[in-house]
Amino acid sequence: MGSTLILKVRICLKSARFFCTRELKPNLRGQQTVRGVSDQADGRGGGLRNRDIFQVREDGGGRKHSVRKLPSFPKSVFAAGTAKRTTEMLKRKTSRLSVAEEEPEPRASKKEGKLQPPDRPLSPAEWRKLKESLGNSPHFDNQMMLSLFNSGSELDVAKSLLSFVAVETGTLSYMLLLHYLCLCVRGGHSDEVFDVYKIMRGSFPSLETGASSLFIKSFSQTARWKEALSILHERKKVFTPSARNYGDVITAAVQNGDTTTAWALYDELIEKGLTPHQDTWEALFAGTKKTNEEEVMREEDQQERLQGILLHMRNNQIYPQHSVAKQIKTWFESLKGQNWTGAWTTPTPKGVCRCCGSELESIHLSAEEYRNLKDRVMADVIQGRDVFNKTTPEELERFKAFVKRKPAFDVVVDGLNVANIGRDKRMLSEMLLAVVLELECQGLNVLVLGRKHMLTPSRSWSKHNMSLIQQKAHCFFTDNMSEDDPFLLYATLHSGNHSRFVSRDLMRDHKACMPDGATRRLFFKWQRGHQMVMFGNITEGRRVRFKSIPSYDTIIQTAGDSWHIPYDDTEDRSTYEVPQRWLCISKKKQPLN
Amino acid sequence: MLRIFTSRCCNFLLKSTSQKDITSCLSLNRLYRPSIPVYHLCTRNSVESDVIKDEGEKSKETEAIDLDKWKSVMTSQAAFPVQRLGDEEEPDPDGRSSLDATRELVSMWRQAGKLVPREMTEDEVQTLAGFTTKSSRKKYLKYLAIRENYKLARKEKQQQKKAEKEAFFNKKRELDGDEDDQHKPKNALILQFWDRSLDKLLNWRAANAMVFGQPLVFDMSYDSSMTPRELENTVSQLLKVEAFNRRAIDPFHLHFCNLQPDGPYMKELLKQYGAETWERLLITSTERQHVDLFPREQLVYLTADSPNVLRAFDNSKVYIIGSLVDRSLQSGLSLANAKRLKLATARLPLDEFLNWDIGTKNLTLDQMVRIMLAIKDTGKWKEALEFVPKRKYEGFYQHHTHTKNKFTFRNTIKMLLQKSIHSWFNVRIFAL
Repeated sequence: MGSTLILKVRICLKSARFFCTRELKPNLRGQQTVRGVSDQADGRGGGLRNRDIFQVREDGGGRKHSVRKLPSFPKSVFAAGTAKRTTEMLKRKTSRLSVAEEEPEPRASKKEGKLQPPDRPLSPAEWRKLKESLGNSPHFDNQMMLSLFNSGSELDVAKSLLSFVAVETGTLSYMLLLHYLCLCVRGGHSDEVFDVYKIMRGSFPSLETGASSLFIKSFSQTARWKEALSILHERKKVFTPSARNYGDVITAAVQNGDTTTAWALYDELIEKGLTPHQDTWEALFAGTKKTNEEEVMREEDQQERLQGILLHMRNNQIYPQHSVAKQIKTWFESLKGQNWTGAWTTPTPKGVCRCCGSELESIHLSAEEYRNLKDRVMADVIQGRDVFNKTTPEELERFKAFVKRKPAFDVVVDGLNVANIGRDKRMLSEMLLAVVLELECQGLNVLVLGRKHMLTPSRSWSKHNMSLIQQKAHCFFTDNMSEDDPFLLYATLHSGNHSRFVSRDLMRDHKACMPDGATRRLFFKWQRGHQMVMFGNITEGRRVRFKSIPSYDTIIQTAGDSWHIPYDDTEDRSTYEVPQRWLCISKKKQPLN
Repeated sequence: MLRIFTSRCCNFLLKSTSQKDITSCLSLNRLYRPSIPVYHLCTRNSVESDVIKDEGEKSKETEAIDLDKWKSVMTSQAAFPVQRLGDEEEPDPDGRSSLDATRELVSMWRQAGKLVPREMTEDEVQTLAGFTTKSSRKKYLKYLAIRENYKLARKEKQQQKKAEKEAFFNKKRELDGDEDDQHKPKNALILQFWDRSLDKLLNWRAANAMVFGQPLVFDMSYDSSMTPRELENTVSQLLKVEAFNRRAIDPFHLHFCNLQPDGPYMKELLKQYGAETWERLLITSTERQHVDLFPREQLVYLTADSPNVLRAFDNSKVYIIGSLVDRSLQSGLSLANAKRLKLATARLPLDEFLNWDIGTKNLTLDQMVRIMLAIKDTGKWKEALEFVPKRKYEGFYQHHTHTKNKFTFRNTIKMLLQKSIHSWFNVRIFAL
């Protein structure tokens, strides 16, 4: 049993490394540095490779560990891409278990072979023949235009189709022209777009959103970008234009040197509560190539506004993409007489920038933020619209009295979540006991939250284990009908800023209970700093390990003479994860090393 | 051949008016008389195309096709003068013009092939303009379009039926030749069973149930947690509930509790039933709570979130169903209500009997009442849970059916007893 387990873990590691070589590299580097630190600390931890970690178990649990946390191999759960990698790993595991049980069927695409667009322009007679051969469908023209679009045909073919339809029916429908317009815009035929614009304006009372978006996009790329602006203004009469529309016009304005218009539109965009696209920021940071005399005068102004964008990103916890980050770097470095230098970096686990050596902002909340969060969690998560939804008033009072009676907890354990971490349903109480013992071993004051059904002895919940847990830790059991997560949050928040909680649950549903974005971000910050998640399998005789908790906040930050900007360099970041790579921009001259 | 071509060109020249057409025709001519320099007549476009596509038979053919013909066709019939956009920036003080613009936009969406209604009332346009997000507008328009389609389809069907009927009668009239005959009552041995007779019978049963039947409570206290459309759905489901209950062999005594006289539930019920029908309905509707009407220990709240499973139907209990449609799954809403009133709760044994596949475990109100009626009549969950929509599960678990068919001592006794009663009846009948 033991050997197979090791084998399995090895396979997992191997395959994981195979799949994400790029991801693992910075990771391993991190491990090495930490190893260096622990080397000095106890002079024994060196050479602790992955293989050795798993051999520790074979030596038996009797061996004493002076290192509290093993090398930071396990990253935080909130590191970018973790969720996606875990899913892939699980998928591979299940597929290995059910070997070739289900072959992925070659999905026959529905439209394949239905309409074959011609490869050259046809004359009306030929089109008519083709139409008749395909059953003379009334939707022939639209279907053909779509298939031309999908197969990326030449514009001339589409033109000949339009001519055929125009000759045959005497007019062209709006839909057909719209599809043709899509084809033109994708191919970048701006002259053709102008013609279509004239025709559509002439033939129809107004343009709907799809066509006007396409025109805005296309006009913005040409010298007639001012017309895109007027289309945008026209569109505002009915509904708010999208952030993409604004972005196109802003980009055009910036590139044509009209920064005043660009900033006015940007302000309008923010005012309407839209989130600008990353391309828009990129364009704004890239700035104009033309140099007017006016522009030089407003250099200061421009600088302030661009830094305002960075602060906006900070306040809304937005992370720029890699391309935007690059543009930000070039912009900073292009500022004359200010001597900025930018570098790509990652911080140490202690929260120190490896590049400039300055300390990043702490993940810990300030006293006021903390109080604010505590009140909001109580009001929105636990009580919500109806106390009875998650608990009952009596139980809530009972719990409040319980928390008040006990000393502040160092760590609160989500009993059921922790117990269910293993796959074996008979081992539930063992799992929980192992975690509680580990925490107690560290000299922490532990609270275990559970439901009342855990106290009835059964195969999963052995009486002996439960009584041991109750000896080692404070316990509170909620009604079977109540949720336990809100209590977990309450107890942790109530025990002070140092208190942490153990759960694998990402608490996204509770985060969603918060009414506004600011509180949600605050909650997320607190969660990143206070949630402990177990790492790896829990087996007898092996220490329970937890994933590392970062000590710094991942957010854009400035200290006057330096900026630290976390950015996305991977596509697979989920919304509840934070990027791992940073852009460090500092004013001081870098010491050569 | 040359003659045909030249004549064709002449036709083209006669027909076409725009300069572009002329140039294309000239380039067509050039095929046969390449020495004539026509380049100075050509616009930029055709020069380019000439240069590119001068070689090869095929490209010459394509040149012959007038690619920009459609442009001239469309510009010639332009109905709207091209206005400069900047000029029409007149401020519109009243909201009317913006509503008109919205209406126009919807009609353009329709032309672009989106799923939007043909016609919209003033209120609907106003509601549409009130939405702030793109998706909410889209959903609302889709809803209106689908509703409109249903309406049109129904109307068409009705008209078709009417026409068929007319044709049938006309034919019959022709065949019979006698016009007065069809209005005479038929001469029949047995009294005709009118619809009214059935109504009378069903109403008699419902009235019986109102005196002796087991109560079934619908809790109407969820109006604040539903959107207007969900409330509409709820009430239309309640209509079905009443209909199924009336048609049952042994109906429940339906109670609509917590029904506020001027509340949204009441308004919608009156709208869908009509005031007169609502007055004649054989149900009990009250603004009082169920806990005031019945003893607490008799009440059982049926909710999908309950931890307890309803194993056997109890004839002495009063079951409560929350009249709620939650499209956005508000789990725990009815459970919270039950907890507040400290009532017993239960859920249907769906997991125990059905191999649940996809779909949530909440059921509509009419499915619920049919299940309750069936379990009350038969006592067998297998028959009652037939009313769970088939798409949601893969099938019944087999082992349950086995245990059901087992010959237990009790079952045998029951069967023997039933048989003896039957034979006793038979004997009586024969004796008579």
